Amino acid sequence: MHDGGSSDIDELIQDNPALWRGCDMAGQGTTGRSTGFTQLDAILPGRGWPEKGLMEVVTPHWGMGELQLLIPLMRSVVEQGKWILWISPPYLLYAPALVQAGINTEQVLVVKLDTSCKDALWSMEKALQTENCGLVLAWQNWLPTKVLRRLQLAADTGDTLGVLFKHHDSEHSLSQIRLKIEDSYSENAGFNESEVTVIKARGNFRSLSANINLYQQA
Amino acid sequence: MKDPDSEAQLPLPSLARESGAQVIRLPASPNTVTANRPTANKAGRRTPARRTRPNKLWYALYLPQLTNLGPSQQKKYLNRLAGHMQSVSSNVSFHPQALACEVRSGLKYFGGIDTIHQKLKKLVEEQLQQWDLDNSFLYAASPTISGSLLLARSGHNALVYRKENLRSALGQLPTDVLHLDREQGRRLHNMGVRYLRDIWRLPSDGVRKRFGSKFVDQLDKALGKAPEPTCNYVPPPAFITSYDLPYELENLDRVLPIVDELLAQLCDFLRRRDLSTSHLILSLLHEKRDSTDVSIGLRQASRSQQHLMLLLETHFSQLSIPSPVTAIKIEVIKFDSFIAESNSLLKEAVPGLSKQNDSSLVQFMEQLQARLGSNHIKFVSNMAQHCPEHASVQLDYSDDSNRRNSIGKVRKASNNPRPLWLLQDPVLLHINKGRLFYRKPIAILSGPERIETHWWSGADICRDYYVARESSGSRLWIYQEKGSVKKWYLHGIFA
Repeated sequence: MHDGGSSDIDELIQDNPALWRGCDMAGQGTTGRSTGFTQLDAILPGRGWPEKGLMEVVTPHWGMGELQLLIPLMRSVVEQGKWILWISPPYLLYAPALVQAGINTEQVLVVKLDTSCKDALWSMEKALQTENCGLVLAWQNWLPTKVLRRLQLAADTGDTLGVLFKHHDSEHSLSQIRLKIEDSYSENAGFNESEVTVIKARGNFRSLSANINLYQQA
Repeated sequence: MKDPDSEAQLPLPSLARESGAQVIRLPASPNTVTANRPTANKAGRRTPARRTRPNKLWYALYLPQLTNLGPSQQKKYLNRLAGHMQSVSSNVSFHPQALACEVRSGLKYFGGIDTIHQKLKKLVEEQLQQWDLDNSFLYAASPTISGSLLLARSGHNALVYRKENLRSALGQLPTDVLHLDREQGRRLHNMGVRYLRDIWRLPSDGVRKRFGSKFVDQLDKALGKAPEPTCNYVPPPAFITSYDLPYELENLDRVLPIVDELLAQLCDFLRRRDLSTSHLILSLLHEKRDSTDVSIGLRQASRSQQHLMLLLETHFSQLSIPSPVTAIKIEVIKFDSFIAESNSLLKEAVPGLSKQNDSSLVQFMEQLQARLGSNHIKFVSNMAQHCPEHASVQLDYSDDSNRRNSIGKVRKASNNPRPLWLLQDPVLLHINKGRLFYRKPIAILSGPERIETHWWSGADICRDYYVARESSGSRLWIYQEKGSVKKWYLHGIFA
């Protein structure tokens, strides 16, 4: 009976559009794009990735499943007819894996690794401003606040989502969402799951985390 | 009577006279203004005389040797010759195996028809010799195009200055020059008509009835009684413009406004001719040095000043000049016809790739190429290959043929797990205390997948691939070489 009561309250809260619910970004009315992982949707404001803005993914080293996390998003971007730009990824992008994931390689462009940092940032800003690019992925470890702000403004003008992959979290970053992927071990899932922590997200009051099997599709 | 205000507003006598002439042209009320101005009245009487078109003199060039060539070849040759004829006249008209140009306007400048003829003869003969054709040609000049053509065809090489003399000059020509079909020629012959003057003796009504109005019109045109349409030669567009700076500039930012102005000229030029450009060269000239050339190639032809300017700015940001700039030159290498885009009324109707979206993407890519260099932008393509290194290729974005080949072909990828990242060179893994070791110990999750290929090329590959997990959390794609040395390598990261 107690459970029934709380779900009723939840329903009432959800149904009332005049009520401001911090966690849902109700005030801004944005609904996110589903991440493809139900546990992650549950802890993100707007129940998914934001439509535009800047996002940071922090991993202690490359290859922690950070790309797997974004594969459903990439797929939906490509289905929209938009392009994905990879700006100086640390390794060669391997096409068969993209094909397996259902991503059309014709809409994927790569800016080579040996591009200078200045040029890479320039192309990232330009790409974010272009409406045809749905997703811009960049590998940059440390960026000054000024640059981040510029990128964020560019992303807002182009309705584009930019993702920065980095090794270290910077507490005062302006990005809309900061995620951290860590290794986790649990009794039943073994090493299959990773712990994804939403350190900060506009609309969330505190950091939340979820255990997700990132390789469920693979 | 005169309006005192209008007098007061006219400061110069010349202007006043002009305004007077304008008033005269109005047909009504001759007794108000015109009566008071006898000088203006005189001008009014003179206007009809001025309105008659000045006499023209058409110089016709007839090349019977072209008859054996195909129509496209003829057109090409005539086009080239018309280009040469432009040196004596701005008005060149095309006709079957012949060209006509108006030379009256240039008679005084060139000093007579003989000079013009000598000049043309030299040019045309040289050109004909280049094409290995008979370098003789027939020519004539008269006040009408058809008249000149008829005279030229007859081989008379005649010169008729005045329209009044045209009738007698043409009258001597045999009827063959009219290029009639056999039936009509036979009928004329049976009627006893041998020369053109014989036709003029016939009643015109009857001639029109028997031979059609086209036949009569042709003769009327030759005599200048009917208007003659011309098929004018339009020279191919060319655009070169330059600007000498009043003082030397070292800072490229200061050059930009001037470039902007030159581009405005260019875009104006393109808009007037309904063209666009896909390749242009901007040269920055220096004193005592070779010029710095910025070549701008566009994937999609454009005539947008804004876009061109953006590209140039991007080029300039990477450009270093050896010495100060003294002048700027813009030359268009390639013209394209302009293709307009229409916007969709229902913008949101098609969420997919609309054409408009595509063009803005192309513009973005051009800008990216201008800044980074064309070989820095790659697109990946999946290949149907067993060998993991060759199953994915990176192609230059600028390489159009490569791109077209790969587009639209969905090649099947292997069903076995493949990593998103491949290492350029496989990394040798160590074995530490019986366990594989990269940065941290590695545990194998699944496998093996045997890949055996390229045995025919000598560099045969025989590997067992495994999906492995590093204890730090990365998922790796590793392989063990089969053969005498069983070494372990890291080849990819699943990420």
